[in-house]
Amino acid sequence: MASAPSLAASLNPATTSDDVQRAELSEIDASTKWPALFLLASAVGWLLIGTVFALISSVKMHSPDFLGNYEWLTFGRTRTAHLNAVVYGWSVNASFAVAFWLMARLSRSVLRHAGLLIVAAVFWNIGVTVGIAGILIGDSTSIEWLEMPAYATPLLFLAYALVGAWAVITFRFGKSKHIYVSQWYILAALFWFPWLYSIAEIMLIFAPARGTVQALVNWWFAHNVLGLWFTPIGLAAIYYFLPKVLGKPIHSYYLSVLGFWSLAIFYNWAGVHHLIGGPVPVWVQSAGIAASFMMVIPVIVTAINHHLTMVGSFNALKYSPTLRFIVFGAVSYTVTSLFGSAMAIRSVAEITHFTHFVVGHAHEGMYSFFTMVMFGSIYYIMPRILLKEWPSAKLISLHFWTTAIGSTLYVFDLKIGGFIQGLLLNTPVLAHKFGLQPGTDPVPFIDTVKVTIPYLQWRTYSGILMTVGHIAFAINFAWIIVRSAQATKTQPTLFRTPPEMEVTAQ
Amino acid sequence: MNRAPLIFLGIFFALAFSWTGIVLTNQISYGSLKPVYDETEGKSYPLQTPGLAARGKQVYEDLGCIYCHSQQIRRPGYGDDIERGWGDRQSVAHDYIRENRVLLGTMRTGPDLRNIGARQTDRTWHYQHLYDPQITSPGSNMPPFAFLFETHKIVGQPSPKAIQSKLPAKYQPPAGYEIVPTERGETLVDYLLSLKDTYAYPETKNVYVEPTPEAGKEEKK
Amino acid sequence: MSEDPIKPNAQAEQAGASDESIQKVHSILLREKPEPKEGYTPMPLFILGFITVMIFVCTLYFVHYRGGFSPMVYDERYDPSTASASAQVTKVDPVAQGKRLFQTCAACHQATGMGVPGVYPALVGSPWVMESDKQVISILLHGLSGHMMVEDKPFNGNMPAFGPGGGYNWSDEKISYVLTYIRQEWGNKGAAITPEQVKAVRDEMAGHSKPWSAEELKGMK
Repeated sequence: MASAPSLAASLNPATTSDDVQRAELSEIDASTKWPALFLLASAVGWLLIGTVFALISSVKMHSPDFLGNYEWLTFGRTRTAHLNAVVYGWSVNASFAVAFWLMARLSRSVLRHAGLLIVAAVFWNIGVTVGIAGILIGDSTSIEWLEMPAYATPLLFLAYALVGAWAVITFRFGKSKHIYVSQWYILAALFWFPWLYSIAEIMLIFAPARGTVQALVNWWFAHNVLGLWFTPIGLAAIYYFLPKVLGKPIHSYYLSVLGFWSLAIFYNWAGVHHLIGGPVPVWVQSAGIAASFMMVIPVIVTAINHHLTMVGSFNALKYSPTLRFIVFGAVSYTVTSLFGSAMAIRSVAEITHFTHFVVGHAHEGMYSFFTMVMFGSIYYIMPRILLKEWPSAKLISLHFWTTAIGSTLYVFDLKIGGFIQGLLLNTPVLAHKFGLQPGTDPVPFIDTVKVTIPYLQWRTYSGILMTVGHIAFAINFAWIIVRSAQATKTQPTLFRTPPEMEVTAQ
Repeated sequence: MNRAPLIFLGIFFALAFSWTGIVLTNQISYGSLKPVYDETEGKSYPLQTPGLAARGKQVYEDLGCIYCHSQQIRRPGYGDDIERGWGDRQSVAHDYIRENRVLLGTMRTGPDLRNIGARQTDRTWHYQHLYDPQITSPGSNMPPFAFLFETHKIVGQPSPKAIQSKLPAKYQPPAGYEIVPTERGETLVDYLLSLKDTYAYPETKNVYVEPTPEAGKEEKK
Repeated sequence: MSEDPIKPNAQAEQAGASDESIQKVHSILLREKPEPKEGYTPMPLFILGFITVMIFVCTLYFVHYRGGFSPMVYDERYDPSTASASAQVTKVDPVAQGKRLFQTCAACHQATGMGVPGVYPALVGSPWVMESDKQVISILLHGLSGHMMVEDKPFNGNMPAFGPGGGYNWSDEKISYVLTYIRQEWGNKGAAITPEQVKAVRDEMAGHSKPWSAEELKGMK
């Protein structure tokens, strides 16, 4: 594989090609260090900010007088600030870092001129800061997932252009001949996002379309941020870290291909399911429902692929933090997507539409799937770019258990509460059959609110649990950066010591 | 690397497929709907939102009302919108063509507001509800919007717009002070009062009718 | 495609500068498993069968609920090709419609029709409701204001106008439905009111726009 003397060969002429690969990886990791570190640190910062807004918003929903005197902290603004901070702040920064770290490694391509990527990251974060400040002072566009005011968007655009171009250049100049499945997903995501974002900005803000065409553009955009950006990045990470940590190949290339293309074709039509029953033509609603249901195919195919890769190695979950978070995320992806396909069915949508069930589903996707996968990725990447180990396994364990239990509680809680709310709100005959109301006439609206209050309180408790996890993570994150490298410590930070230390890797 | 161009083409056409189908096709087929002129009434529907109400709509947007309130009525028999008295008929695309920003909404933490202007015409009720929702709707989890009102010393004549006489005892300002809605509060209520979709566009007749028993078929949907 | 050996990565050269950092690099990377690869296990055939069934089912669903691909159809059960050309006449149940409309009235007169003592009069057994068609239609059309006695109980309030031109702008049909409803509910046994009757009163009172007083109503025949 090596054509000219590489660094490793120059140090030790007896190296094998495996060592060459590893030396190559060390160069690649080193080249990604500063941009990845900057992006990940920004991401963790936004995670904390987003968590604060989340807690405030959650408390307001069951105790509306909380901070009720401040216009800039009214629920409609804190909830929006939360969404934008965790999506465009935490999730996108983490996506950028993971995407080009994976792309550099898989393309076997050193990241050149990494300084420009740091500039891009700075621009992105300035854009998001300006955007969220704008929302709090009252410049929100009130378009879901696109609330940042127009004056923040040029910076975001510029930043994205730089990141996108760099990932493609890294891919183009890579030595790898085979395009691994994670690379397909990352390249696709990088291409799809600017198309979605530009059309949304143009047809909703700069030259607004007439009437409910806006709603179609809005939900084509917003759902595809989930389906064509976050899902591919998350799947790319799972497809890399799962086989990497286990040291086994992905079960079937053919399933990977099928999973990728069926996702590409079906996912982008699914967004219309947010408008079922609404003032948009029924044919496009039915198309969105059919596509949402067809999504079962890529989800099942990917789940089989991951599961059969994992089979026989489940005990590795005892040791590896990365693996635990990744597998939790992968299972959540399957569960949330199957729920999503079910929710698109008209008779189910009749009950769940407009309720907290949808909020539970959204968090299952963005948190239980995407965020947990990002956590797992970060636990793997940081030691490799910093050349230091994570200081505290206990903090990692605390992080895992609080976020895993917290997010599961959150999702269960809102789905149950939301379903009850939906029955009372939308289908009184069914609600009567389930014994939720005495007659078959619709109950007064205030009753549908009152029934959700205990569930909203439990949502706050689960959020507090998740916050503890985030703080543990942030402490560990800051600690690994500031601690001095100890030359003697060469063992990975695992949950417990496996019997065969050298073989089991982080 | 020779597969890369093929992968790119596939990725391109995948998104082009839905962009064409969801965005482009609908923009072409109903993106230029015009208001309907009604001969009997001599007006074009939907009516233009009055100026003050348009200002109020900006307030609705910047406060994020959309995150709890929807503005779309679903057809009878699907969900309970019409049965709850939230509207007479299903909302149609024509209802929204004059809106610079369409605020359909996706949550009903609070009731649908599409026809609130037909359902609750009392300005005072709206002021009470915004000042503190607990006044009109005990147990509600809507936040208070007292910052849409201003408490100031009465100078000269008391303002005709003062609302403290309509508020319960615990909200009373000190003697000599009055509570008046700010421009934001007043225009927001103007906007809410303007929300009513009463016109029956031709397409509102495009509804499924259950076959009558004489036809011999009983198709329950 | 080979990496230029003359220009190695600057950072890697840094790493080569000290033995300790090489040691670290190697230890973390040495324990890593090799880069991931894909296995080539053939796809299970049942997946192809599964996909075929899914495509079949979803296509059928889409075609069934396509609403003729018309941008003006919002009811998924409606098929423009089979619907009759003439306007569909749906049978309306006045009492059911009236009951739905009464939710607006219930804000003051309460769902029980008993009103609020001293504030809003009861409709149950009220002579104002049961005796004269013209009186009760007029109340709905133009509202009522000022002092009145309802079965020896005094009231002094305002009822808004529900007829055309007012905030509610109800049609003759709507007014007739709600009146029909209150006349047969809660033990009331009175005659239904037709839209034609409402129109007749409206025409007779054309030009009248202020709320009625009790005296004016009593003067009507």
